[in-house]
Amino acid sequence: MSDWKRTQLYDAHVAAGATMVEFGGWDMPVQYPSGIVAEHLYTRSVCSLFDVSHMGRILVSGPQRVEFLQHVLTSNVLALDLDRAQYSMISDENGYAIDDAYLYRFEEDRFLLVVNAANTDKDLAHLMKVVKDYDCTLTNITADWAAIAVQGPKSKEMMTILSGGEAVTEPMRNALNSLCLEGHFARVAKTGYTGEPLGYEVYVKSEDAVWLWNRLIELGARPAGLGARDTLRMEAGLPLYGHELGLDPAGQPIPIFAVPLARFAVSFSERKGKFIGREALQKQSDAFKRVLNRDFSELSALPRRVRPITLLDRGVIRAGMPVYYKGQEVGWITSGTMIPYFRTENEGLETVITDDALKRSIGMCYVPSEILDEELLEVDVRGKRLRAVIPERHLDNMAPPYARPIIYGTTLSERPAESTTHPALALLHRAEENHIWRQRRCINLIPSENTPSRAVQLLSASDPSCRYAEHKKVKSFYDKDIFYYQGTGFIDEVEQTLVEELRKYFNCSEVETRVVSGQMANTAVFSALMDWKNRLDRRRNPERLGYVMNNHIIKGGHLSAQPMGALHDYIAVDPVTERSAIVNFPVCKDNIFKIDVEETKKLIDQYRPEFIIFGKSMIIHKEPVTDIRRFVDEQKIPTTIMYDMAHVLGLVGKYFQEPFAEGAEIVTGSTHKTFFGPQRGVIAVNYKEEDLKYGLWQTIENRAFPGSVSNHHLGTQLGLLMAAYEMNAFKDSYQKAVIDNARHFAKALKAQGLDVCGDPAIDYTETHQVLVSVGYGEGAEIANRLEKNNIVVNYQATPDEEGFTASGALRMGTNEMTRFGFGPKEFEKLAALIADCVKNGARVIDEVEKLRADFTEMRYCFNDREFETALEGFAGKFGF
Amino acid sequence: MNYPNELKYSRDHEWVRMEGDIAVIGISDFAQDALGDVVFVNLPQEGDAATAGEAFGDVESVKAVSDLVSPVSGTICAVNEELLDAPERLNEDPYGAWLIKVEGITGTEELLDAADYQAMAEQG
Repeated sequence: MSDWKRTQLYDAHVAAGATMVEFGGWDMPVQYPSGIVAEHLYTRSVCSLFDVSHMGRILVSGPQRVEFLQHVLTSNVLALDLDRAQYSMISDENGYAIDDAYLYRFEEDRFLLVVNAANTDKDLAHLMKVVKDYDCTLTNITADWAAIAVQGPKSKEMMTILSGGEAVTEPMRNALNSLCLEGHFARVAKTGYTGEPLGYEVYVKSEDAVWLWNRLIELGARPAGLGARDTLRMEAGLPLYGHELGLDPAGQPIPIFAVPLARFAVSFSERKGKFIGREALQKQSDAFKRVLNRDFSELSALPRRVRPITLLDRGVIRAGMPVYYKGQEVGWITSGTMIPYFRTENEGLETVITDDALKRSIGMCYVPSEILDEELLEVDVRGKRLRAVIPERHLDNMAPPYARPIIYGTTLSERPAESTTHPALALLHRAEENHIWRQRRCINLIPSENTPSRAVQLLSASDPSCRYAEHKKVKSFYDKDIFYYQGTGFIDEVEQTLVEELRKYFNCSEVETRVVSGQMANTAVFSALMDWKNRLDRRRNPERLGYVMNNHIIKGGHLSAQPMGALHDYIAVDPVTERSAIVNFPVCKDNIFKIDVEETKKLIDQYRPEFIIFGKSMIIHKEPVTDIRRFVDEQKIPTTIMYDMAHVLGLVGKYFQEPFAEGAEIVTGSTHKTFFGPQRGVIAVNYKEEDLKYGLWQTIENRAFPGSVSNHHLGTQLGLLMAAYEMNAFKDSYQKAVIDNARHFAKALKAQGLDVCGDPAIDYTETHQVLVSVGYGEGAEIANRLEKNNIVVNYQATPDEEGFTASGALRMGTNEMTRFGFGPKEFEKLAALIADCVKNGARVIDEVEKLRADFTEMRYCFNDREFETALEGFAGKFGF
Repeated sequence: MNYPNELKYSRDHEWVRMEGDIAVIGISDFAQDALGDVVFVNLPQEGDAATAGEAFGDVESVKAVSDLVSPVSGTICAVNEELLDAPERLNEDPYGAWLIKVEGITGTEELLDAADYQAMAEQG
C-alpha cells in the first residue's frame, strides 16, 4: 500500500465507490460514480459535500500572534473582527506567493490559518522560520479536525436543519460561527471554493466527521470529488496554487498582483509595518494601478495577469496550451477544460434554470497586462489555432441563492417595436392605462408609497411648478430671506407657512423644506455635520465623519444612511480596519427586527460614535431613542442623534414616536410614505438659537441651498403645504387607524396560516408595516404572482438573507389603503385573498378588483362643500 | 463492466464490429469508465485515411485528452457526427455510440476477443 495520508472520511469515499488519487500527499476522491459533470451540476443546483480535511490547518496563538501574522501574511489582520475570515497570501520577499491562505478568527485569542494541502510542509517550514522572532506559537492541527465543505443553493437549508433553526452564520460571506449541530460542536465559516453564494466550510472533531457527512447526505447533499472542485473553482475564476499562483509554464514565478483576488488579499495599511514582500508588492500594486488606467508604460513588476478566457471555436482548452495575440505567442492557459452549465430561459427575475445541461470550454490564462476585456486571442489546441476571448467573468454570484454562469455573447432581448401610433400618443395611452390600473384596480401595499389627495395633486401641478425661487438668509437684513427672482411673493409665503406647519407637526424649532427627497435630506445633513466638524480650520482637507452608528442594510437599514448611499462622501475610513468607520446597531437574538439596547450601549461605549442614526426601511418597532439619549447623556459621550423617519414620518405622535421629546436632535424623512405629501424630503431640528449646535442647523440650511438644490421644485412644495394642513388636521385618527389596521392585517394573515414576522405579543407591529416570511428565495416570485392579481407588495430580504434575489419576505404597509378607507374588515378580506394566492397559487384578481372598487375615495383630507367647490373651480380654470 | 462477446478489441481500448467489409469502431466500456465524463470528441472527415496503430481523432474528458487509435487501415466511409454535440453518448452507450466506419481495409492491428481483452484491461 502507498504511504499516502488518509482523511477521517477515507472509508466513506471508498464505500461510495469514489475513484481515489494522490493529491498533495493525500489519498483523495477525484470523483464518485456519478462523475465530475454531474457533481458540478449538482453543486450549482442543489448541494455538494467536499472532503477538505486534507487542507493544512495551523493554529496561531500567543501574545504576539497579531504582529507575527501582520508580518508573514499580506492581509491586514487587525481588520479581522471576531467571527470573520479573510483571504490572504503568504508572500516571499519578492512578492511571489509561497501559498494562498484563509485566515479565520473563531476565537478572541487564536487564529486559524488554512493552507493548501500540497504546500503545508513548505508553508510550515517558512512560518516556523519567521515565528522564531515572535512570542507566538504555531500548532499544526490538520489531523485533529475534519473539514467538510457544504456548497450549493440548498446548503443553507440543510445546515439550518442541523442547527435546529438557529442562524448558521450571519448571511454575509466570510462570516463565522461556533455552534452545535445536533449535539456535535462545529465551527462554521460562510466560505468556499466553488463560487456558490451559499456555502459553508464546517470544521468538526475527527470522530464527528462521518456523522456529519452521512447526515448531510440524508438531507439530500451528494459527495463531490477534487475533479468537480476544480471545475467549480475554474468557472468561479478562483486561483489554484500551481496554476494561477506559483510558477508559470515557463518556470517563472507569478507576481501576486497578477491574480485578480490579490487586491483583497494585500493591504498596505501603515499598521502592517514592514511585512514580508511589502516593497515588491507595492511595485506590483503601482503597476496594477497603471494597468487599470490603461497606462502600459512600465509593467516590469506585472508583465502578465491572470484572466478568464472563453474558447469561441469547438475544442477544449487545457493548462499549458500557448496563447497567441495578434499572431505572437504571448502567454498560456493556466487552467481550462469543458465545464457544464444549465441552460436558462427568460430574463431578469423571471429567469428559469432548466435541467438541460450544456457545456462550454472556459478557463483562465496568463497573458500580457495590456490585453483588455473582449480582446480576441488564439489558443494552440493540440496543433490547431482556435479563437478565444477574454470575458469579464464566467460566473456571477450576486443573485443568490444561485451562482449564475455568464455565457459569453448572451444579449438581452430588445423591447418590441411600438405599433404604427406615434410614440407620443402611445405614451399617453400607456400612462392612462397605468394610472387607472394603480389608482382603481390595484390594492397598493407598498409601505413607502401613498396617493396624495386631489388637492395636493392639483397644487403640485399648478404654476409654481415651473418657477424658480432661490433664497438665502442675509445677516445684513437680520436673517430676512432674500429672493433672487421676481414674481415669488406667493412662493415665499407658502414656504414660510409650510415651515410653520411642520414645526407644529414635529414639535421642534426649525425645519428645512427645500430638499426634494429623503436621500437628499440625509446628504445635506451628513455634509453639514462634516462641515461643522471642520469649521474651525477650513484651510486643510476636511476630516470625514467617524465613527457613525446606523442600522445595517441587511438588518433593514436605510440605503440612504449607508456608506454606499448618502454617507458615501462623508464617512471616514478607519485606518486600522481599512473599512468605513461604521458601527451597526446590534439586534436582539430572538427578534432580529429590534435593536438590542444593552448591546448597543456597550458598542457606543467602545466606539464613542460621533453620530448616531436611528431609523430603517424594515421598521416594525419603535427605535430606542429615549434609552440611547439617556445613556449618552449619562456617560457624557459627545454625539449627535438623528432619526431618519423616512417610513414613519407620518406617524410622528402619541401612537408611535415623538422623536424630539425622546431626545433626537435631527429628524429627516421623505414626505410621501406615511406622510400625505408629494415626493419630497424634509429636515427638522430642535436646536434653539442659544444652543452651540444652532450653528449646525445654519450649516444644514446652507447645505440644502446652495449645497443640494438650486431649484427646489416649487410645485410639490406647495402640494406639501396642503399635505401638512391635512396631516395636522387628521393625524390623530389617521395614525391610529394605520397602526390598528396593520395589527389587524398581521393577525389576519397569521390566522390564514402565513408566517408573519415579529412579536405576536404586540400584534407583530408598532408601525404601518407588516412583514411576512414566504420561504427563502421565494419573495420575488410570490410578489410577482401577487402583482398579476393586482396586489402590489414589496419583496425584501430579511436580516438573515443574503440579498434581494434571496428574499424570503414580503413587506407590506397599510398606509395607502387606510387612506382609501380600508378598515379591519377589509384588511381581513385582503389577508384571505393574499393567503389563497400565496399558499394555493389561486387566481384572486376578480375578488381583488371588487374589493378595491368600493374604496376609491380619499379619506383624511378636506372635503367640506366649500372646499370642494373651490377645488373644482380651480381645477376647471386649470383646465384639468 | 461489459465486454460483448461478438466484438473484437484492440490493446488501445477500441472495439471493432465487422459489418460485411466495413469495420465499425468505437471505444470500450472499460475505456469510457476510465476516461470519466466525455465532454468533447474530435473526429476525422469522411474520406480520410485511417492507419492501424495511429490516431484518427481524440476524445476528451473533464480531466484529460486521449488519442483514438485506429485498429485498422483503410478509408473512413462514415463518421458519427451525433457525438460532436452529444459526446456523453460514449459514456451512456459505449457499444451503441460508434465513432467511425472504415472500408477498403488493407491492414489490421492484433485484435483480442472479449475474454482476452477483459483480462488485459482489468490487470492493467
